[in-house]
Amino acid sequence: MGGRSRIGILIALACIGAAILAGLSVAHWDDAYPSTDSATIDAELVHVASVVGGRLVDLPVRENQHVHKGDLLYRIDPEPYALTVHQAEANLALATAELANQRRLLAVRTAQAATARDQVTRAQTNRDLADRTVTRLEPLANRSYVPWQQYDQARVARNDAEISLAQARQQSAASEVAIGDLASATAAQAASQAALDRARYELRQTAVTAPTDGYVTSLHVKAGEVLAPSQVLFTLIADEAWYAVANLREITLPAVHPGDCATIYSMIDRRTPIQGRVESIGWGVLSADSAGPARTLPLVPRQMDWVHVAQRFPVRVHLQGAAPTLLRMGATATVEIRHGAACP
Amino acid sequence: MRQKSFCFFFFRKRRTLLPLLALSGCTLRGAPSFPIVGAYFPAWMLCVLTGVAVAVGLRVVFLQTGIDALLSFRLFTYVALGTLAALALWALAFGP
Repeated sequence: MGGRSRIGILIALACIGAAILAGLSVAHWDDAYPSTDSATIDAELVHVASVVGGRLVDLPVRENQHVHKGDLLYRIDPEPYALTVHQAEANLALATAELANQRRLLAVRTAQAATARDQVTRAQTNRDLADRTVTRLEPLANRSYVPWQQYDQARVARNDAEISLAQARQQSAASEVAIGDLASATAAQAASQAALDRARYELRQTAVTAPTDGYVTSLHVKAGEVLAPSQVLFTLIADEAWYAVANLREITLPAVHPGDCATIYSMIDRRTPIQGRVESIGWGVLSADSAGPARTLPLVPRQMDWVHVAQRFPVRVHLQGAAPTLLRMGATATVEIRHGAACP
Repeated sequence: MRQKSFCFFFFRKRRTLLPLLALSGCTLRGAPSFPIVGAYFPAWMLCVLTGVAVAVGLRVVFLQTGIDALLSFRLFTYVALGTLAALALWALAFGP
């Protein structure tokens, strides 16, 4: 009986020791090779909208359709924008004509200024002649060789010539100023050109093309709908790159590095492993302890929690070569870092 | 690869004894999460159930073969054996 009892104790000790050792090593593996069943398949989105508004006249895409980059998604009635382009073209032609007109007027004013300069010369010559006449007549009139009346007329003529010269100088100065330049007409033409370019841009924006390959989703309207500028018509799920967002506990994050291999199963087909590479680890999550009104005192609840549940951070895993049928945004997924069927 | 050899082992050596367990072991390949009526159950839950089943099964087998009479601290021994089975399944099927 004693021998059997010893054997029983030995067996019990061996079993318990083996179980403890196995438990410790499994716990160690679990920390070194994290995995989670709380991941989702994720992709990037484009909220498709046009920067111009109007009536939707052409909608060649359907809900859930796959489109390629550059494909026409929808078209807004281009007529108002084409009319605006015509108006802007007419405005530009008007401004160009006005510029030519101003150029002609500038030539006229330049010629007038030259005439005014010549008038100054003529007035100066006349004044000089009148001046010399007065100088010549003065001694003759003093000795009564010529009538005093003639000398007086000569002096009046000299005063007249003086005034004419002053007037000619003023007129010349005024016509020099009046020549001006073409700055205003040129600026008006540039403004019209810019308005035309903008109108043409808006006309082009009436046709909305796919910015990336992807799937059309949330499309619930038909042609005929009137859209405001920048109103979102539907959402495009970009299928250039797919991701799994795995929420991993913070204590396992030291074992996760960007570039690590990962095995992902989309629960759409839980038997097909998808290979992935860890792209990045989220740098922040909103925590109930840190969320409070901004710019005021921190809100610290009174509490006495002894057990704190580990925070989890989203780890972004880039999926490689997955079948398109497995990839639907929001699908449940499991992620195993550095182990699993896809990571030999 | 490890999972494949694990299933292979079951099929070759325990074909007559544990065909059902071996079958379930092979369906383990895939995601470590099991859909049951629209909800996903984690793999460790399956391992726990397996551990309990193995402990009960070993108890029955040991009673029939007389090994049970050799044991003392039977509760701890069977719990340890069940734990070992659960951890072995976890390590082989879902471990790195």
